[in-house]
Amino acid sequence: MSTSALSTVPADESAEKTGSSPSVSPPSAEPKKRSWSARPRTIDPVRREAVVAGRPAVLCVDNISVSFDGFKALTNLTLILEKGELRCLIGPNGAGKTTLMDVITGKTKPDSGTVFLTHDARDLTQLAEYEIAELGICRKFQRPTVFAGHTVYENLELALQGKKGVLSSLFFRLSAAQKTTIEGILEQIGLHEHAAVRAGQLAHGQKQWLEIGMLLAQNPKVLLVDEPIAGMTHQESERTAELLKSLAGERTVVVVEHDMEFVRSIAKKVTVLHQGSVLAEGDIDSVQNDPRVVEVYLGEPRT
Amino acid sequence: MTAEPAVGLKALHSRRGWIGVGAATLIVGVIVPLLSVAVPASSPLHVPDYLVALLGKFLCYGIVALAIDLIWGFTGILSLGHGVFFALGGYAMGMYLMLSIGAQGVYKSVLPDFMVFLDWKELPWFWRGFDNLSVALAAALLVPGLLAFAFGYFAFRSRIRGVYFSIITQALTYALMLLFFRNETGFGGNNGLTDFKSLYGYDLHEPSTKVALYVLSALGLLLTYLLCRFIVTSKAGRVLRAIRDVESRAMFVGFNPTSYKLFAWTLSAILCGLAGALYVPQVGIINPGEMQPANSIEMAIWVAVGGRATLFGAILGAFLVNGMRSFFTAAMPNAWLYILGSLFIAVTLFFPDGVAGALGRLKRKS
Ligand SMILES: Nc1ncnc2c1ncn2[C@@H]1O[C@H](COP(=O)(O)OP(=O)(O)O)[C@@H](O)[C@H]1O
Ligand SMILES: [Mg+2]
Repeated sequence: MSTSALSTVPADESAEKTGSSPSVSPPSAEPKKRSWSARPRTIDPVRREAVVAGRPAVLCVDNISVSFDGFKALTNLTLILEKGELRCLIGPNGAGKTTLMDVITGKTKPDSGTVFLTHDARDLTQLAEYEIAELGICRKFQRPTVFAGHTVYENLELALQGKKGVLSSLFFRLSAAQKTTIEGILEQIGLHEHAAVRAGQLAHGQKQWLEIGMLLAQNPKVLLVDEPIAGMTHQESERTAELLKSLAGERTVVVVEHDMEFVRSIAKKVTVLHQGSVLAEGDIDSVQNDPRVVEVYLGEPRT
Repeated sequence: MTAEPAVGLKALHSRRGWIGVGAATLIVGVIVPLLSVAVPASSPLHVPDYLVALLGKFLCYGIVALAIDLIWGFTGILSLGHGVFFALGGYAMGMYLMLSIGAQGVYKSVLPDFMVFLDWKELPWFWRGFDNLSVALAAALLVPGLLAFAFGYFAFRSRIRGVYFSIITQALTYALMLLFFRNETGFGGNNGLTDFKSLYGYDLHEPSTKVALYVLSALGLLLTYLLCRFIVTSKAGRVLRAIRDVESRAMFVGFNPTSYKLFAWTLSAILCGLAGALYVPQVGIINPGEMQPANSIEMAIWVAVGGRATLFGAILGAFLVNGMRSFFTAAMPNAWLYILGSLFIAVTLFFPDGVAGALGRLKRKS
C-alpha cells in the first residue's frame, strides 16, 4: 500500500488495512440503490469520527459512488481534505475528477456515500447547489464561466460573500469595507484596469483569473479549481500558480490539473484518481514513482 | 436567449434618460388629457374621445409589456401565458363593475343578468365582497399573483426551462380560457362580463370618467416603469440577468435561482393584473377571448419588436404594434395576422434586439 493509507480510508474492501488509523470499511449492509431523499440528512457522528480519525480535516468525501446509466464514474471514493492544504487531483481523462467536484458542490447526486464538512452536521449530498455555496465551498469550472454581460466589477460584486436573498439584493448597497475587498481582489487578480470592462470581452486567461477572483470574493473555506491553466500561456500559468499558492493556508484548495510541471510547482500532496477511485496519494515524487501510476499514465509498467 | 445588456438601461442612468421619462409623462399624462377636456371639439388641437380611448388601452398594454420584459428580457423566461394574468385582473374589476350595475340590468335584479338567466338565486361565494372596490382591486392583483406563484413554484422547482416552460404557459392560458367559457364557472361564460354602467359612482360613459381612467392608466404605467427600473438597476436586477445568462454560475455563487425567478414571475403577473383592472372599465367588456393563446403570444411579440431588456423598448413595442394593429384592422381586416407574423419574423431576423436596440446602434454610430 502506498502512502494513501495514511490519509484515506481504503476505497474498496480488498484494500489492505494498515497503519494506526482505524480503517473503516464501507457500510456493506446498505442496499445498492436508495432514493436519496429517503436517506438521513445528517451524518452519523460515529461514522464521522471513524472517517476523520483525529485528523485536522475540513471536508470529507466518504465512500461516494456515482454511475451514469450503469457506467460507474466514481466507485467507493473517499477523500479527506485537511485544513489549509493545497491538494492536487490528477488522473487521466475520464478518471472522474470533474464528477467528484460535481458531487461535492451538489451538481450531481451520488448513488451512495456522503460528503460533509467536519464542523457541520449536514450531509452535503442532500443540499442544493446554492446551499453548499453558502457553506463556503466554491468551485471554478473547467471552462471559464463568468457573467459575460456584467462588468468585471459586477462579477465580483455578485460573488461577494453576504446575504443572497431577493430582498437583501433589492436594497443592497456596497459598504465601504466591501468596496475595499473588491478593490483588493482586483489588484490580486491583476484586473484593476479592467474593472469596468464587460467580462465577455476579457482574454481567456483574464477570464480564468476573474473566476478565481469571484471565488475569493465568496471567501470560501474550500476552493475547488478545475483545470485552471487550460489555455494559458506559460507566464500566465506561473502567475496562476502564485495566486493559488497564496490562497492555501487560510483556505483549503483543491486543484485538478494535467500539467505535471504545474502540479510540481504548487502541490505538496497529490491524489491520483483512476477509473473513479483513488489510485495513489502522497507527495509528488512518491506518486510519480509509483508503478501503478506510471502504468496508468503510460499504459504499461515501467521496465 | 442572452440579450446584450440593455442599451436603453444605460441611457436611463443619465440625466437625459430622466428628462425623456419626464417629457413622455408630461405629454402622455398631462397634455393629451388637457387637449381632450379643455380644448373645444372644434379646435384642431382637440384630442378626440376615440383617440383617448385608444391610447388608454395602449397604456395598459404598456404595463403588460413591462411585466413581460421583466420576466423575459431580464430573467430569460419566455411566458406565452401572460394573457391569463391580464384577464384575471380584468375579471376581478369586471365583477365589481357588474355588481355596481345593481338593479339597473335587463332583468331588474340585484344579481348580474347572466346569473338570472342561469336561474341562480344568489351570488356564488366567490362573488361575495366584490361590490367593494378595494376588495376587487386587491383581488385583481392577488389572484394573478397567487396563480403565478403556485404555477411558478412547481415549474421552477422542477427546473422546467426554455421552450417547455413556454409551452406550459400556453396550456395554462388555454385551460383557463376553456374553464371561463363554461357558464357554470360563474363568470358569464362566452359573453363574459359587460354592460357596465358606473365605477365608484362615476358614469363610465361620461367623457370625463374616460379621461380620468386614461390618466390613471398613464399613472399606472409610470409607476410600473419606475418600479421595474428600480428592480433592474438594483443588485437583484443584476442577479436576474446573471441567472438568465449562466444559471449554474449564479447557483455556485450562492443565489437560489428559484426564489429570484419566482419573485420576477409573480411580480410580472401582478403587474398584468393591474393592467387588466385598468383596461376593463375603459373597454367595457371582459370575456374569455382575452385568454386565447394567440393573445399571449402577441404580448410577447410587442416586447420582441420593441427590444428586450431595455424597459422603454417594451413600451415602445406595445405602442408600435398596437398602433399598427389599429391601423391595419381598419384598413385590411383580414391581413393583420399575416402582417404581425411577418413583422415578428423580420424583427427576429434583422433586429434581434428590437427597435430599441436598432436605435441604440444608430446613436452609437452617429
Ligand atoms: N453527466 C454525465 N453523463 C454520463 N456520463 C458522464 C457524465 N459526466 C461524466 N460522465 C462520464 O464519467 C466519466 C468521468 O468524467 P469526468 O469526471 O468528467 O472525468 P475527468 O474530469 O477526470 O476527465 C467519464 O467517462 C465521463 O464520460
Ligand atoms: Mg474534467
